Amino acid sequence: MRDLLLGLQEFYLLCIRATVGICRRPFYLRETIDQMDYAGAGSLFIVALVSLFIGMALSLQVAAELSTLGLKMYTGRVVGMAIIRELGPVATALVFAGRVGSGMTSELGSMVLGHQVDVLRVFGLDPVKRLVVPRLLSALVMLPVLTIVGDLIAIMGGYYIVVAVSHQSGSFYWSQIKDMLDFKNVFSGTVKPFIFGYIIACISCFMGLKTTGGARGLRRATTTAVVLSMVMIIVTDFLLTRILFYLLGMRV
Amino acid sequence: MIVFEDVHFGFNSKKVIDGISFEAAFYEKIAVLGGSGEGKTTLLKLILGLLRPDRGRILIDGRDITTLKESELVEVRKNFSIVFQEGALFDSMTVKDNVAFCLREFTSLSEEEIQQRVRELLRRVGIEEAEDLMPEELSGGMQRRVAIARSLAACEPKMILYDEPTTGLDPLTADTICGLINELSSGDPPNRRGLIIVTHKVTDATKVAERFMYLRNGRIAFDGDLQALRATQDEELKRFINEIL
Repeated sequence: MRDLLLGLQEFYLLCIRATVGICRRPFYLRETIDQMDYAGAGSLFIVALVSLFIGMALSLQVAAELSTLGLKMYTGRVVGMAIIRELGPVATALVFAGRVGSGMTSELGSMVLGHQVDVLRVFGLDPVKRLVVPRLLSALVMLPVLTIVGDLIAIMGGYYIVVAVSHQSGSFYWSQIKDMLDFKNVFSGTVKPFIFGYIIACISCFMGLKTTGGARGLRRATTTAVVLSMVMIIVTDFLLTRILFYLLGMRV
Repeated sequence: MIVFEDVHFGFNSKKVIDGISFEAAFYEKIAVLGGSGEGKTTLLKLILGLLRPDRGRILIDGRDITTLKESELVEVRKNFSIVFQEGALFDSMTVKDNVAFCLREFTSLSEEEIQQRVRELLRRVGIEEAEDLMPEELSGGMQRRVAIARSLAACEPKMILYDEPTTGLDPLTADTICGLINELSSGDPPNRRGLIIVTHKVTDATKVAERFMYLRNGRIAFDGDLQALRATQDEELKRFINEIL
């Protein structure tokens, strides 16, 4: 229990130091751009692929269910709402946690085990500022960007099913999607990835910097980081949805 | 001056350092000997303030570093440089960028001046041809030479700490590294750069050090010069240093 509380205290301290570090000099621009490239451009293909199939599968399910109620023409509305508000941010964040979060943990963990982090400290550099802040920034910027791209591709996947499989009107599908792009939905869909990015980067970097125990310890740290990130994404998604419903005046 | 006063340190419930006390001047050439897991690397990390002792005081130039904040330790660490086992090079950077790292971080030198200084340092450690290689393309000996060059680029340390610098190297390469270590700490005391080398390779230790400490069960079981080391009556230590007797 004592270890858990100490760990939590260290985690919150790291979160605070990293958040404050974003606004304080020195700024490691090159490192940040490298991380953004790895997190953003490097994840684009996998996010696109996952989003495409989620969009198509969702569209199939929704069209099939609505057709039994005679409401098949509203497939676009349901698909759009589900992707923009929920599935898009959550699915992209889960992919991001698996690909980028695990990379952050294993990279920082191997730097700890290889004494590279100690070398930074001996040189008088703050590992949080030098290593965590660029990764946090890259997650804060790139996860929302990837989510928007993923949403777009998922919606296009839904469009393909609606037109080619369900034989509905494509223009009606797009008009419903356009209706769904109001402030409430767009705001809700872009705030979530921002917060998910923060959670993934903080958990992954913390686990990486706390790595001990050689290769086995690195495996444990990476697995824990990914699992914790995924659980936190799902839990936070529910809490955020409740909060956003309240803030945006949406009723159940 | 480095002063350890009854320092204790452990990981979780395992005691690693169990009441160590000693004094060492910055110009001294010290070898810390001992078997695996006897706390040799921990000792170096305690000197640098990378680890905090559970009990006792560590004074560097009269300042108790056990109570200092991380930001205050920066000044203390300027006295030292460290070469870790395997080099601890930044594996995302080339050799050149590793050596230039501190120059870019802490100096206002132009890129041209930095490149010149990097070439000088690499020439000094004898691997100027490797400047564009990545760390994983280097042999163990080359990695350690790059680490030494990087540690010199950082500042002009009063003392260099070496963590197992010759472990895993063939005898010829180990000999080259020892030669380099001696060259960097050449001169007469007190006007020379000191060193603390942590190793279990006794022959290599005798090539570079003048004072020897032997760690056993977290305590200093021996502290003396080479002559006293060879004359020890401690049976376990005698077996440990068998190769130089």
